[in-house]
Amino acid sequence: MQQKRIQLSKIVFVILVVLGCQQEKKLPFLGPKTIGKQGDTLYHTIPNFKFLNQDSSWISEKDLAGKIYVADFFFTTCPTICPKMKTQLLRIYDKFAEEDRVRILSHTIDPEFDGVQVLKEYAKKLNISSPRWNLVTGKKSDIYRLGEKSYMVTAQEDANEVGGFVHSGAFILVDKNRHIRGIYDGTKDEEVNHLLEDMTLLLKE
Amino acid sequence: MFNKIAVLGLLVLLVSCESREEITRQQYVVEGMNLYQTNCANCHQVDGSGLKDLYPPLAKTDLWQRVKMSELACIMKNGQKNSIRVNGKPFNAYMPANPKLQALDIAELVTYMREKWSPNKTIFSLDSARFALKNCP
Repeated sequence: MQQKRIQLSKIVFVILVVLGCQQEKKLPFLGPKTIGKQGDTLYHTIPNFKFLNQDSSWISEKDLAGKIYVADFFFTTCPTICPKMKTQLLRIYDKFAEEDRVRILSHTIDPEFDGVQVLKEYAKKLNISSPRWNLVTGKKSDIYRLGEKSYMVTAQEDANEVGGFVHSGAFILVDKNRHIRGIYDGTKDEEVNHLLEDMTLLLKE
Repeated sequence: MFNKIAVLGLLVLLVSCESREEITRQQYVVEGMNLYQTNCANCHQVDGSGLKDLYPPLAKTDLWQRVKMSELACIMKNGQKNSIRVNGKPFNAYMPANPKLQALDIAELVTYMREKWSPNKTIFSLDSARFALKNCP
């Protein structure tokens, strides 16, 4: 009897430890890490930026302070994967409709065509609005550099590609300190399911 | 007696002809479904519901009664630059051309869409598709 009780308490202990570990689940920090002066780890960080949104307002990192956000790259005349990505982003937009700590930041990679007016019209037709969902445009080289160097996605002009641009359908999840915590395929239902779960997790940090 | 056999023979012929056309139609529906998912569903969605006010729906619309199938065939192949009215609402995002789609693909696509969304669930034949594409504006 005594032995059994000890065994039982051991089992309970193990279960508690396992449960405890699971609750500790944290999203990884993605991107190159550097070592700071004090020997501490510095995580990859999205640098400062400044773009115009669909309402002709300047949007910078300051507007996203204290928020988590999903970033993506698209263009309004894109015939291939963008409609799929927008369908998926709408899921995020709808799910976190009541959550003020969540933002979506969609960068156009065709800023010459996608001016503020075009983005405004596009947002109207999708029935979305800022500040929860910003569609932004700016200097082409700035957008491409930020996309490739900071968000780690590919975006290039390519005359051979349908629509004239090749780009990835990635959704990048960024935390309130501007660290990348997840990259997902924004054209796939199941991947976006994961993203939605991860966002809920990230909001608890 | 002879007459009866002749009538019976004619009937059998008719029924088998019909079912042959029905088999072709069903093949078109299956192929059309694959083509739809690859070429159309990105914007118009798998269930044909469209995307908000950006891309028009195909399901539950007046398109099937109002627009000629030959016209739809041309839009699928050559895209759509002007505004189009669906259920009384104008949509003006341009639709890209699909130069890779051949007459058979178009026939299969229209047949599939009719099966799903049109009250007229008949085949859109290869000949009709060829004729339509030859006479696009």
